[in-house]
Amino acid sequence: MFQLTELQHDALIELFNQGVGQAAAAMSQIVREEVTMSVPLITFQTRTEVAQALGGSQSRRICAVTQIYEGAFNTEAMLMFPEDKSLKIVQLMLGQTVTMEELSDMEQEAMSEIGNIILNSCMSTLANISKKELHGSLPVYRIGTSDQILGSVGTQWDGLVLTLKIDFNIEKHEIDGYVAFLLDMNALHDLQAYLEQYLSGIVS
Amino acid sequence: MIAADNAPNIQLALFKSIVKTVGVGMIVLDAQERVILWNHWMEQHSFYSSEAVLGKTFLELFPELKNGRAHNAIQGALKNNFASLISQNLNKAPFPLFANAGSHVTGERMQQAVHVMPIDMPADLPPEWQLQRHCLVQITDVSVAVNREKQLRELAVELQNQTLADGLTGIPNRRRFDEHMESEFRRAKRSVSPLSLIMIDVDSFKDYNDNYGHQKGDDCLIMIAAALARALGRPCDLIARYGGEEFMAVLPNTNAEGALRLANTMRSEIQLLAIEHAFSKVAQHITISLGVITQIPAHNTTIPHMIGAADRALYQAKRSGRNCVVVHGEPTKPATTASTISTK
Repeated sequence: MFQLTELQHDALIELFNQGVGQAAAAMSQIVREEVTMSVPLITFQTRTEVAQALGGSQSRRICAVTQIYEGAFNTEAMLMFPEDKSLKIVQLMLGQTVTMEELSDMEQEAMSEIGNIILNSCMSTLANISKKELHGSLPVYRIGTSDQILGSVGTQWDGLVLTLKIDFNIEKHEIDGYVAFLLDMNALHDLQAYLEQYLSGIVS
Repeated sequence: MIAADNAPNIQLALFKSIVKTVGVGMIVLDAQERVILWNHWMEQHSFYSSEAVLGKTFLELFPELKNGRAHNAIQGALKNNFASLISQNLNKAPFPLFANAGSHVTGERMQQAVHVMPIDMPADLPPEWQLQRHCLVQITDVSVAVNREKQLRELAVELQNQTLADGLTGIPNRRRFDEHMESEFRRAKRSVSPLSLIMIDVDSFKDYNDNYGHQKGDDCLIMIAAALARALGRPCDLIARYGGEEFMAVLPNTNAEGALRLANTMRSEIQLLAIEHAFSKVAQHITISLGVITQIPAHNTTIPHMIGAADRALYQAKRSGRNCVVVHGEPTKPATTASTISTK
């Protein structure tokens, strides 16, 4: 089983907190209100474990914004919220008083942009420490059960999901979200190597 | 793709023509953020010819966008190779683009969805080109979709308004008040402007109900609600039925003086109704007491805090003999009694 050292683990949390800090600043600028985000914890889990944790006992619907990154290491990154939370975030970001049952097309695009900002910010800190090329795709909005989003049924895959819990705070409303990176064994070892390189850079 | 057996110069001519025909805006920037492509769609909607902009940097063309979302996205594409989406909903028309000459004159911008993407530099380009990152800014006109959603939203608001009216009096209900208060509170905080609340309570209403019956009590509340609504002057002001015989007015962008004036108007409007109340502890007719609070919401103020302050001012008004107005935070006796409290 893959595992980071305690030092690597702490470094990764710190890097992600830098990343979401930048994302929060960008979002504050857009809504002209204070937005704060932090990453209190990260975990490595199998897809099935993540799907169960997100989906709960019943198969509630999850909104996801996904992006593919290729280069320094390859990963599919996703920002996920339970459907009602995503409605809440878009409502707060857009300052709307009327809530619909589902996100409209234009609201889905706004949600995609929120995902785009958060994912790119998280990945840019990792790209920086890798000192290698990393190419990011445009965001895609998806909605479905956690199994559907994570593709965890019926396919064989040797990787792990790196999950960050994100505390999202906008105008006194606290909303929990999750960012997940699907990492195969190669990507996991690349990530660990970059962290080691980063840590040795700090020490020396 | 274009058939492979076409000669390269034919392919190039065709690609040029396609870039000219395509119904989206295309701007290509080099690593120094200089414009190297500005397609026909951009010429048409920006009212700048490509000759006028080629070679200029992004910030020379759009200085007001410095460090904004679009500029950051371009830097993300050129520095990190990341693609970005800039949605119309979160970024209202970032680029000065216009549907036609008429809107160019009025300055009404086209609704835009913007994609910023790093460009893969093909391996058959000279090496000095391959090393230079470039990005494509693609702009789509989303006015049709935006207008359609605006109509849908208006319809939804209309439907919701029906569920947000108080069943008895027809004025906004408590739920509507909560929503309105939330959005006005945030707006006031953002724009650093004063927000006022007036909490209103009908004096000796229990005695009225007990002696005249609930039917008459209901009629009385309907008349009071209508009179309070008449007293409001602006569309952004809201009067809601807050609870039994309690009402609440939300007055955005209103200072303490304006709120006090309106509160006094409300008080005299209710007197003018001259609804007989032989069992009132105050007068021979129905009267109201009012508590006023005005604040520029600061970081540590909350909505419950503001409502609590209005409630305390109202309580003061009740203790000061009813049928009067008390402004929160002002000494009630004796200094301002004359200005804030008046009976009859």
